[in-house]
Amino acid sequence: MRNVLVSGGSRGLGLGIAKALAYSGFRVVAVARKLGDHLPPVRAEIEREATGALHFRPYDLSNIGGLAELVKGLSREFGPFYGLVNNAALGTSGILTNMKDAALEELIHLNVTSPIALTKYVTRSMMTGQGGRIVNVSSVVARTGYSGLSVYSATKAAFTGFTRSLARELGPLGITVNAVEPGFVDTEMTHDLTEKQRAQIVRRSALKRMPEIVDIADTVDYLFSDKARMITGTTVTVDAGTTA
Amino acid sequence: MTVRATVLGVIGEVAEQHDKHLAPLSDNLALLDSGLDSLCIAVLVAMLDDRLGVDPFANDNGALPVTVGDFITLYENAAA
Repeated sequence: MRNVLVSGGSRGLGLGIAKALAYSGFRVVAVARKLGDHLPPVRAEIEREATGALHFRPYDLSNIGGLAELVKGLSREFGPFYGLVNNAALGTSGILTNMKDAALEELIHLNVTSPIALTKYVTRSMMTGQGGRIVNVSSVVARTGYSGLSVYSATKAAFTGFTRSLARELGPLGITVNAVEPGFVDTEMTHDLTEKQRAQIVRRSALKRMPEIVDIADTVDYLFSDKARMITGTTVTVDAGTTA
Repeated sequence: MTVRATVLGVIGEVAEQHDKHLAPLSDNLALLDSGLDSLCIAVLVAMLDDRLGVDPFANDNGALPVTVGDFITLYENAAA
């Protein structure tokens, strides 16, 4: 069974991605700070119905110094990795001039530095196998504007540049690297949106609705499939046509 | 198997996997003249981490090895 690490895979979009991949036969290791209440029932469902598996290992991804050991330990336990989904992120919002410096640094640390370092170590595990898949969860705000998300947008734009160059680097090893760019999806991260903002997003979308977690998860699942073997270095937008 | 033999063996494996023509290996040969490109060297380091359980480049300290001999010595010291 092919191993995939999903960061932030204990709830929300990360858990949705983990579930979709487990249904496609992957052994998913969800890594997040806390197990929480959402993962256990999904794991039980996967044990009953899916061909893959879902495991959870607690880890604070802001601790970059421990990532090498984390990945080594997981590789010893489960075998080398075939895939990585960089999903964990902070969604801190705020008008830039009012944001505390510590909040800026925390956002960039967890949303950029940490996933890049995690990718370094998981990719090493992939290098000794036959190909692999990396999917970085970006956001439409990486290229469209949204007031109050300037720092978050900067971190997501960093992901798209990282995706393109890493795809070039790892292509010769048969490892594909892509980004998925969701629009506003109904998750805990977007619960701060007011009804008015929500209605505005729906009105602006071509399909007159917000994408759901399953829509993003299925896109990641597709990028992990053999059907997507010729897709690398690109960004797939899943936003119900909001940016069309 | 000695660390030297493992390193030389894995260099050969990587060259074969990536269709690289390997120069006759000697301690004085510059690593970049061995026929392996930088991606091959990255794969080599990942494979040696698997086989020997050590990564001498992990702590970001020290100079990068210039020759094949330096590279082997680095692994011999790390594995000791």
